[in-house]
Amino acid sequence: MQVSLSWLSTHLDLSSYTVPQLSDLLTFAGVEVEGIEERGVTTDKVVVAQIESFVQHPNADKLSVCQVNDGTGIRQIVCGAKNFKAGDKVPLALPGAVLPGGFTIKEGKLRDVASLGMMCSGKELGLGEDHSGLLILDAETTIGTPFNQLVPSDVVFDLEITPNRPDLLSHLGLARELSALTGMPLKGQRDYNKTSTPTKLETLNLKLETPSACPLYTARLIKGVKVGPSPEWLRRRLESIGLRPINSIVDITNFVMMEMGQSLHCFDLDKLSGSIVVRNASEGEQMLALDGQSYTLLADDLVIADQKRAVAIAGVMGGEETGVTEATTNVLLEAAWFTPSNIRRTSRRLGLSSDSSYRFERGIDPQQVAGGSELATKLILSIAGGTAEDVLHVAGEAPALTGEVTLDEDRARKLLGTPDLTGDEIHAILEKLGLGKKAATKHESRWHIPSYRADLQRPVDLIEEIARVIGLDRVPSKMTAVAVPSDATDRAYDFAMTIRQALVNRGCFEAQTLRLIADAQLPDTLGGGTGVAVKNPLSEDHTTLRPSIIPGLIATAALNIRQGADRLRFFELGRVFLKLPNGNSREEERLAILISGPVSPSSWHARTPQAADIHELMGIITHLPGLSRVSIEPKAVKESPANFLLTSELRAGNRNLGWIAQLHPSRARDISARHPVYVAELLLSALRQGSTGPAKFEELPRFPGMTRDVAMEVPADLPHAKVAAFFASQKEPLFIASEVFDVFTDPTGQKIAKDRKSIAWTLTYRSPEKTLETAEVDAAHQRILAALEKALPATVRR
Amino acid sequence: MLSQLDSLKTDALAALVAAQDEAALEAVRVNFLGKKGSVTALSQGMKDVPVDQKKEVGAKLNDVRTAITDGIESKKLALQAALDAKAVEGIDITLPGRPGTGNGALHPLTQIRDLAIRTLRRLGFILAEGPEIETEFHCFDALNTPADHPARNEKDTFYLPDGRLLRTHTSSVQIRTMEAAKSLPIRIIAPGAAYRRDEIDATHLSVFNQLEGLYVSNDVSLADLKGTLEAFFREIFGPNTAVRFRPHFFPFTEPSFEIDVKLEAKGKDARWIEIAGCGMVDPAVFTAVNKSRGDNLFDPETTTGFAFGLGLDRLAMILHSITDIRHLIENDVRFLQQFAA
Repeated sequence: MQVSLSWLSTHLDLSSYTVPQLSDLLTFAGVEVEGIEERGVTTDKVVVAQIESFVQHPNADKLSVCQVNDGTGIRQIVCGAKNFKAGDKVPLALPGAVLPGGFTIKEGKLRDVASLGMMCSGKELGLGEDHSGLLILDAETTIGTPFNQLVPSDVVFDLEITPNRPDLLSHLGLARELSALTGMPLKGQRDYNKTSTPTKLETLNLKLETPSACPLYTARLIKGVKVGPSPEWLRRRLESIGLRPINSIVDITNFVMMEMGQSLHCFDLDKLSGSIVVRNASEGEQMLALDGQSYTLLADDLVIADQKRAVAIAGVMGGEETGVTEATTNVLLEAAWFTPSNIRRTSRRLGLSSDSSYRFERGIDPQQVAGGSELATKLILSIAGGTAEDVLHVAGEAPALTGEVTLDEDRARKLLGTPDLTGDEIHAILEKLGLGKKAATKHESRWHIPSYRADLQRPVDLIEEIARVIGLDRVPSKMTAVAVPSDATDRAYDFAMTIRQALVNRGCFEAQTLRLIADAQLPDTLGGGTGVAVKNPLSEDHTTLRPSIIPGLIATAALNIRQGADRLRFFELGRVFLKLPNGNSREEERLAILISGPVSPSSWHARTPQAADIHELMGIITHLPGLSRVSIEPKAVKESPANFLLTSELRAGNRNLGWIAQLHPSRARDISARHPVYVAELLLSALRQGSTGPAKFEELPRFPGMTRDVAMEVPADLPHAKVAAFFASQKEPLFIASEVFDVFTDPTGQKIAKDRKSIAWTLTYRSPEKTLETAEVDAAHQRILAALEKALPATVRR
Repeated sequence: MLSQLDSLKTDALAALVAAQDEAALEAVRVNFLGKKGSVTALSQGMKDVPVDQKKEVGAKLNDVRTAITDGIESKKLALQAALDAKAVEGIDITLPGRPGTGNGALHPLTQIRDLAIRTLRRLGFILAEGPEIETEFHCFDALNTPADHPARNEKDTFYLPDGRLLRTHTSSVQIRTMEAAKSLPIRIIAPGAAYRRDEIDATHLSVFNQLEGLYVSNDVSLADLKGTLEAFFREIFGPNTAVRFRPHFFPFTEPSFEIDVKLEAKGKDARWIEIAGCGMVDPAVFTAVNKSRGDNLFDPETTTGFAFGLGLDRLAMILHSITDIRHLIENDVRFLQQFAA
């Protein structure tokens, strides 16, 4: 909300406060100051001056040297503007003047020519944005007049009023609050030259069909008005807070709203047909509003209607057909109190918000409805003339929104952490906020709440007021660390950080991608889950809660490829969302990894290191924390998803750890990948199972082991896992370990047939009791080789 | 014999000088000191030396043997030293090190979140979490948010077809934690994602990251809130950071405050930057939790607590002077690299 300091000052003398002090005062009252705009100048050192003559500056093409009459004599001013002629009157800032923004005018020389002040543009004086030239003043203005007499200065605050304080949505409301906080008294209500108000002009039928949505409706008839432009002071008031003047009647209703917070509406009485009814709209009822738009209403929207049709969407906007125009002579002035939730619902559903609906939906003071009508009437009579009834047609009654609240003062002190806060202080604070003390004992007091503070309903609401007024500077800083036992969430977090650090140390960058992905990304899902679709996505790029992190990492890869990256190593830890067959959903923490391109950064050692293959990714996975004592068995899935090849489930015994795959080359080409792309997605909870509990120490071997190598030829499609399983199953007592150290194939078929491969293993033998003899090792080795050739289609090279 | 010994010594020392490798050195040892070496041969002649000369010749023999042995030993060391020096010849230590797989980097959000978590854990907070797909009850009702509150509509909040929603703040974890609690005190922090139906631009994301805190016990006061959060922000921004609390409004805390810290931007005057929201838990929240639990563990007459929430994305942007929030979700490696440890 925009608030004018000069307007506020009509209620309260704020001249002893600087703008920053006022800003702080508001801020610590809980009103956020989002902007401050200083308009015009406060200094007397900007005066009206007349340019008598000017010549081209001898040393600068773009400057002129002007002789200017400031009312006391002639001054020389160097000026860069071009929009003036001799005889023009302009604002002149004299040396010592401080302009908005803190710029101080000094005597000086511009390119060696003396300049004794500055002629100003509108922008330089804080008036609008026009900086194209000097502000040329009316020829009638008197030379030497201080500029601030011509255009009074003002400061406009842009304030954010929190939803619990609708009472601050007017200048009077803010003035009341500032008066409470500063102790400055409010100036009394002003006299607006009330003219004659004869008795009843005619009967008016007012019918209130919906007292729950509109507890109070008032109308006043004013006849014989002459609608025209508003006087200067009223236009300036409205313009200062960003409202556009329309005509005197409309401007007055806007003024009263911004002055008191009471939203009003004026109908052209001659365009109304018969009596006024406040009723629910009929389903589908059409209404052409003042903004020129036609709205379709529903049965729970509240309207003001005459005998024929709806003439206003209650509290939101009046109707176009019955609005006040320059031709209007008789008006019906509406002042009412509408139930906030009704107004809010209608305003939201129609997407139609006005200054009026903004106030009604937050809740205005029910006790000021008549006062608002009264003030508007006085202003109309004084500005637009006419005669008004001195009685108000009233239907319903003002709701009582506030009552009495009892405050346990010990509890207040305890909650605030201020044992030294006295009862007297508490009482003084609440009293200056307008609360009435009804009773008080040593520890307790009972308070009457004013009608404009419907936010104060419970004791804690009063405690908040006390906290707001004393501020947190008064509250001591206390800190108690409490030991609370950690739980599974803590351990899961620590484990996740260990995983992250391990991957960073393997050269991977941590990504964080949006959990809402596009439908088009779903085929990039690994792990087969279905995501959870959002009912009201904002765009087709973010429609579904991801069932997998891989789609996000592929998008990350695509972005980095576009930026020229060659080596891609990304991982992300985060939540995925899986739709369950019964309609529920499950949230699960996962780790996804994507690699592509050179296995190490290029350097002088290796300009272009070899590109990663799937074994590189498998190596990263097997060395993850949690998996050091786990043997991982990849198991190809029956049907690889279309966007992937080699898709395999990673199993540890009967536990699923996750999935690994190569991005299908056609999908890789889509993102212009320069190298094959490999991805994996793992279940964090499954990884963590491998890392539970402290490791158990095993006695170190006391005797040396011996190794024997074996090289064999096997069919090309015999998986490594089969050979490994064979060695793992051997019961030979001295045989303790085996490891593959070479795999050789020749696609040309020259060194070994295309359908064969050569593999080599090293086997380790050791006894826990003694140093082995060569002969016993050889014998054991031979037994294993014999068993190998029996069990597998292998030819051992001897 | 004495003169023979002298000349042997001269020959041996000359041979040592000439020897340029280990093999040549071994040849010298064999030639002079070996079983058939010249010194050995001469020493066998000792028995023929007249008794009165034995002492002198013996001493000389020893002297020659020692001189040759020492000569060999020192020459050996010299040769080894020369070899060792040669081994490092031409090495340019100013060349860059071998990169291995190189190092990646933690995402800046992870780093700031971890800093916050480590700091708050030292103050005795433990971690808590809750679902991101939430019910209206946990996200709004129990947090004292009126049924017609502006946030509760499809314009601002993502809903699922079944009526559940994507939590608009991590404050729902407060309710989850209190529902599951067996006893007081509760002292938790909950980092997590939250969702708002905002168009993505330089300052907004539809999915963002928050950190929620909650301390509930029987005597928690505004003073605890103030002390704890001042300590927290001074750990994050430096021990001399000015922290201020501005009164504000949130449905689920009363009194409520927004927290500003005074920070200097490059080349500008220090200014107050809004960083978090906080307040004392509203008794209505305790009442709602009790109703959901079916007991009175959080007796609104005696239980008090404070809660706070802060935006981690915003915190990361402030700490690292990141100008566009979208950098945080684009994962350009040139961006991520800047946050390497």
